[in-house]
Amino acid sequence: MDTLVARYSRPAYHQTELFTEQEQQDLVDGMPSLSLKFAMPPVAHPSAWLRAATDDRSNPACPIKIAHGTTTLAFRFQGGIIVATDSRATAGNWIASQTVKKVIEINSDLLGTMAGGAADCQYWLAWLGMQCRLHELRHKRRISVAAASKILANLVYQYKGMGLSMGTMCAGVTKEEGPALYYIDSDGTRLAGNLFCVGSGQTFAYGVLDAEYRYDLTVEEALELGSRSILAATHRDAYSGGFINLYHVKESGWEKHGFSDTNPIFWKTKLEKGEFSNVTSDFSERV
Amino acid sequence: MSSPFSINGGACVAMVGKDCVAIACDLRLGLQALTVSNNFPKIFQYGEHVFLGLTGLATDVATVSDLFRYKVNMYRLREERGIAPRTFANLVSSSLYERRFGPYFVSPVVAGLDPKTGSPFICGFDSIGCIDFAKDFIVSGTATDQLFGMCESLWEPDLAPEDLFETISQALLNAVDRDALSGWGAHVYIIEKDKVTKRLLKGRQD
Amino acid sequence: MEVLLGITGKDFTLIAASKAAMRGATVLKTSDDKTRSLNKHTLMAFSGEAGDTVQFAEYIQANAQLYSMRNETDLSPSALAHFVRGELASSLRSRKPYNVNLLLGGVDPISHKPSLYWLDYLASLAPLPYAAHGYAQYYCLSILDKHHHPDITLHQGIKLLTMCTDELKRRLPIDFKGMVVKAVTKDGIRDIEFDDDKVVKAA
Repeated sequence: MDTLVARYSRPAYHQTELFTEQEQQDLVDGMPSLSLKFAMPPVAHPSAWLRAATDDRSNPACPIKIAHGTTTLAFRFQGGIIVATDSRATAGNWIASQTVKKVIEINSDLLGTMAGGAADCQYWLAWLGMQCRLHELRHKRRISVAAASKILANLVYQYKGMGLSMGTMCAGVTKEEGPALYYIDSDGTRLAGNLFCVGSGQTFAYGVLDAEYRYDLTVEEALELGSRSILAATHRDAYSGGFINLYHVKESGWEKHGFSDTNPIFWKTKLEKGEFSNVTSDFSERV
Repeated sequence: MSSPFSINGGACVAMVGKDCVAIACDLRLGLQALTVSNNFPKIFQYGEHVFLGLTGLATDVATVSDLFRYKVNMYRLREERGIAPRTFANLVSSSLYERRFGPYFVSPVVAGLDPKTGSPFICGFDSIGCIDFAKDFIVSGTATDQLFGMCESLWEPDLAPEDLFETISQALLNAVDRDALSGWGAHVYIIEKDKVTKRLLKGRQD
Repeated sequence: MEVLLGITGKDFTLIAASKAAMRGATVLKTSDDKTRSLNKHTLMAFSGEAGDTVQFAEYIQANAQLYSMRNETDLSPSALAHFVRGELASSLRSRKPYNVNLLLGGVDPISHKPSLYWLDYLASLAPLPYAAHGYAQYYCLSILDKHHHPDITLHQGIKLLTMCTDELKRRLPIDFKGMVVKAVTKDGIRDIEFDDDKVVKAA
């Protein structure tokens, strides 16, 4: 164990080649195959059993409720990529948390977003972070967003049909690719694109985002549009809400632009801009 | 398909104070996850001091509230006086039981003051008319679990009208903030012997 | 994939409905009008199960017109909305309920106030400044939340409607063949020219 730690704790870029090709191969092969790392329920059809126990859409009385419900979005523009999410986790109609971090910082350059099973996304994006680091160590350069997203897509595809539930976006800016954005879900879909919204509130976010999206948005405009799109979704979608988590990804790495409560933002937007005219704001007392 | 009681969402709570009662509801009308309206009050007035809160299926909230408006008006014409909350509660109970084999999907709450003694009266019902009398508070809707928690910890006996307002408002707002299907603003009524105060609460809009 | 949209403004109510009449995987007609006028200043748009929709709408239309003839006065949009809700609610608990979603738009003949009522097949009724039915709700309500104001002009209303239909063209997987658009003002119901041929590209 100590030797392993010692190996990996060395700086990545300023070392001479320590491993022979064979040693490197051993390192990769030495990892147990992934399916062995997970305990499986001792039943004939594990995936069917899991579905019966956790799918609250088909069976509202299911014993295990997995955290669901989300709005996440990311879009490419002239100044990089904007990534924004809400922060609500629900188990059925119960709001389990209003302070979930749905943007996962894979490393200082790459961001992932979280929709679907919270644990699935957290675990596999952390795992992806590890794979990206290993790639850096092996090849002495940063992994491309295309490659990172493909590692994740291939991984989830291996588990297809076993009950993984995730809809995620990988965003990063590299020298070779420029701003790159990929959508990956647990069906195995992997798509590159300019603009994606994922989660139960996706349509509401698309509505606001599509109407004013342009590639040549300024950074300020882009941040505002991302934040406003999440706000729209939190208002209309019962399973989205809490805080707006906002990030800007640039070539120098990502930059966080706050984790802000929707409540003051909503009332500011309504009262200052006159939007959300469907919400009553006449609080005068009446008898 | 989810339960008819939780398609549209909504929450209601009534509380007893000293010589006063309070009743409050949220304002959401939804279709499962989608919020359709933020201005769907669930409290209806049937006399000077008689109030009914209705949560459950929105269509039945409207149908049942209209039905009682008709029945209470007929009662007033026949008796030449307004209906007392306890009488109204029995009317609600028997009217709901008439639909025993095809119920209205509502959970009603009655709150009011006795016209003779001025003593507070609250009660709740299941959808087929079983009355639940209470001396402290009654809750109903998709946020019942949360409301029970809030009321059990905040409520105390003999609250003055202003304190009762604060208590019921905090109980409702904090309960619906933990329920995905209710919230989006609230109405609160404080019912005293010679004054009824209605207030609109500014709630979270997510 | 039927689309119904309604928007109120300063002195008008806009009602729009998709032109496609679909059965299974086939588009039977591309110029269907899913609206019926109930009286001079009230218009109803409908979607839902084939057969039920037109039957119910024309039953309501006939009764609204009968009332106007008998009483030599029209029912207000609010009165009609509550009448329709009552009919739909009693049908809901009958042996064979109507499966119809409705938008009812109008301008009050006395106060000239525009109004819009949203009714679903369960007979839930909600008065709203803007409303939609079907998938359009999920795409358009957030747009309207941002861009609608109560005192917009008819011209601004039509522009807002175009924003909504553009988004639907962008994101809905099935073509709804454009929209029939009608405006209700104090002077009555008027057909609005609406550009259906614009091609919208997704980002």
